[in-house]
Amino acid sequence: MESTQVVIIGGGATGAGILWDLSLRGISATLLEQGDIANGATGRCHGLLHSGGRYVVKDLDTARGCLAENRILKAIAPHCVEDIGGLFVQCPQDDPAFFEKWWRAVGNAGIPSRRLTADEARELEPNLSADILGAFTCPDAHVDVFRLVLANIQAAQARGGRFHPYSKVISIRPEDGRVRGVRYRNIRTGDEEEIACDMVINAAGGWAQSVAALAGVEVPVLCDKGTLLVLSHRASNRVINRCRAPADGDILVPAGPACILGTSSINVSGPDGLVASRAEIENLLQLGDVMIPGLATARVLRAFCGVRALYAPQESSAVAGREISRGFALIDHETKDGARGLISIVGGKLTTYRRMAEAVCDCISKKLGVESECATDKVPLRSAIDRRTHRHAARLLSQPVAAKLEIRLGREASRVIDAIEARPELAELACECELVTRAELEYVLGNSTSLPAHTIADIGRRTRLGFGPCQGTFCGYKAMLAGYETGRWRASQAATEFSDYLRERWKGQAFVQEGKQFEQLELSQGLYDEDRPVSAHPGEENE
Amino acid sequence: MNSHRFDVIVVGGGLSGLTAAGAAARDGLKVALAATGPGSFVLGSGCMEEQEFARPGDAIEMAEAIAFFREMAQAAGCPFEGGPSEARLLPTILGDFESVALAPRFLWNANPGTSGSTAIVGVKELSTFDENFMAERLNEHASRLGFNPAVRARQISLSPIFAGPITTVRIAARFDSDKGFRSELLGALRIAASGFERILVPAMLGLNSSEEELAQFEHALGCSLGELSTLPPSIAGLRLFHRFRGYLREIGVELFEGFPVVTLNIGDALCTEVVIASPGHPLILRTERVVLAAGQHTSELLGRACAGHDEQIRPLTSAGTVMAANLFDAETDSRDGPEGSGNAMQICAGYRAAIAAAATRGNYAAG
Repeated sequence: MESTQVVIIGGGATGAGILWDLSLRGISATLLEQGDIANGATGRCHGLLHSGGRYVVKDLDTARGCLAENRILKAIAPHCVEDIGGLFVQCPQDDPAFFEKWWRAVGNAGIPSRRLTADEARELEPNLSADILGAFTCPDAHVDVFRLVLANIQAAQARGGRFHPYSKVISIRPEDGRVRGVRYRNIRTGDEEEIACDMVINAAGGWAQSVAALAGVEVPVLCDKGTLLVLSHRASNRVINRCRAPADGDILVPAGPACILGTSSINVSGPDGLVASRAEIENLLQLGDVMIPGLATARVLRAFCGVRALYAPQESSAVAGREISRGFALIDHETKDGARGLISIVGGKLTTYRRMAEAVCDCISKKLGVESECATDKVPLRSAIDRRTHRHAARLLSQPVAAKLEIRLGREASRVIDAIEARPELAELACECELVTRAELEYVLGNSTSLPAHTIADIGRRTRLGFGPCQGTFCGYKAMLAGYETGRWRASQAATEFSDYLRERWKGQAFVQEGKQFEQLELSQGLYDEDRPVSAHPGEENE
Repeated sequence: MNSHRFDVIVVGGGLSGLTAAGAAARDGLKVALAATGPGSFVLGSGCMEEQEFARPGDAIEMAEAIAFFREMAQAAGCPFEGGPSEARLLPTILGDFESVALAPRFLWNANPGTSGSTAIVGVKELSTFDENFMAERLNEHASRLGFNPAVRARQISLSPIFAGPITTVRIAARFDSDKGFRSELLGALRIAASGFERILVPAMLGLNSSEEELAQFEHALGCSLGELSTLPPSIAGLRLFHRFRGYLREIGVELFEGFPVVTLNIGDALCTEVVIASPGHPLILRTERVVLAAGQHTSELLGRACAGHDEQIRPLTSAGTVMAANLFDAETDSRDGPEGSGNAMQICAGYRAAIAAAATRGNYAAG
């Protein structure tokens, strides 16, 4: 039986951050995730690395926390961050008093900002509405959430941390009033395994409540659905925020060749089976159009939803765990419920995931009696690519292809480049939007990486394959053949994997009723499954 | 003086537009066809599924349209095989089978059959087609369907001819233009085919090759030959487009290709001019009648939503009057329901519009 000091449940940014932090402290840990990396809220957000500007008026502490983490992440994970900066634009519909409040608060929080006239703002971002009154700059950035989680896990793995994807925890074993181990099921094979451990960390986000229930304790979590839209091109170069009290549809984040507009905020009963309603989508587009005219008719590649798992104690006196800040809550179930060795971490934001992990790991260290200090704010998540690999890539691949490969894989890129050197035909592009070569596909599917892809969607999270306009119609087919030809899947399994993948992609486009993306969807369904088109039932929510 | 004056202008080069142009020309009219390009022929192979013929609609009209289309396809050197009651199972790109009623001859040949030995032959340098995957899948399905085709996988290499990864378009273009390549390909396929009664290759045998040429190729090969659908671009579809346009030109249809029709000049409830956005200055074609086979661009061209059609399938305004008395719409949706986008429906719609246009010669009484 596998044995470790700490089992972490939940492979989002928080869980991955905890795995890395513990591994740096020399505490052995295993991370269990029911799906692939960033399966929950982490993989379903804007990917906005907040500067703190969004919270500065209402919650100065959170704003300061965001600013500090924003600076740390840009330093320790530059390959995950597109440091594009952001603007808070003043729209004539909004309260002018808020602009002044915001400007003063930003000064208090120490967030670097410049005040721009409308003309200056439009010079930076020509697509901004002619009606805006002005704008403020801020150091917002875009973070590739999948790459960030991968980087945390892989850094941890290099120091002995372990990660099991597709492993759903089915029981938490208590003994003499403390946790002794967990049992999990591999949801792809059905096999069950057990891990002995001293502590269990519940970082399951939207699923935190059901994980806690396995240990017979309660974690009150409120699931708040947010819907986001992926638009086919970059409508701006910077993050565009609307300068007003946070509300729906007021953030646009450029992400690679696309941009993401969001979000809504709707209470739901749980994190599964979320559907974006047509009304939500329309509303987001209309709101986006206020900041950038034309967004309402932009090509939407897909809609997706995630849940914010908010910590919601019914009455605060009932909570014995110490509340770290308004942003997130660390619940020590030993003091709260008498369940020794169990800790839950809920709430918080992507931007502050490292700080949350730090708080959890400080607590773990104390309980395990380990003298240690957090170092995740200083140690880079990934070492820089070496010159030899860089030169080698430049010789064998065109510049944009080499650049994308290096930023995705870092030093591991050398494996892909060696493969191309040996078999030049592997330089063929499988995904033309994200410039993924056949060799890279084979690498992420193979067993020489510490985090191999098990499904085509997994390949997407590792390479961004299928994130562009075709939504996997062409590159997904090539990925299927790569999985077959490398021996990962037999033919029938490959076809099933592809069909499952396509169905998921189609679901994200089910609301599209016209325009280029509708043609794309029709093509995809016509090519692969004319008889069973995905029925669009806008408004039918699983709530 | 004005050579750009036609009895009928057909706008759109899809299956419905090509059929309409052919049908109007058969009736002795002076016809022009305006097409920006091969359109959806890039995507599909022109096969008609069995279920298309099971949909509600005018069966007699459909039979007449399909019969005309098959005559035209035969004359164009790309005959179709099968028939609404002769459906057979053809492989899809996922290695499943779908029931197809009508298909171009060499796609129709791609049924692995119930007897005899079949090889699926892939090309080493063509990464988007995997013969092993197809063979494994087809054998699996075939045994489930109760027949035993014993499909094997074979591979050829075109590596000295093409360096590095290739596409079906490059192979097909070379097939058309280079006799030497054709015989080298034949040689390689002949070796792969030895011991088999039938080989199936990814559709790649020419963008413009006629049925006769392919039959010669098959004869030289010494065994039965079939082509399999691939990821787009569809060589089989492009081949249909090229054969049809060659045929239409032969029978006197004038083709205006490469640039979109941007405006229909409508005055006094008659559409007298079609404007093509050719570079430099727009090209204005004068006409007696217009057949609109522009698919989803129809409402753009009409400048407004069409609120249904009269009996002669002329678009109606929301007030219920015809937009133009000489404008016939080869559209499928309103008459055939939301599923009216199949190839057979397109052919039927094009044929219907051409017949309606021809029938109203000199008589534009509003319906």
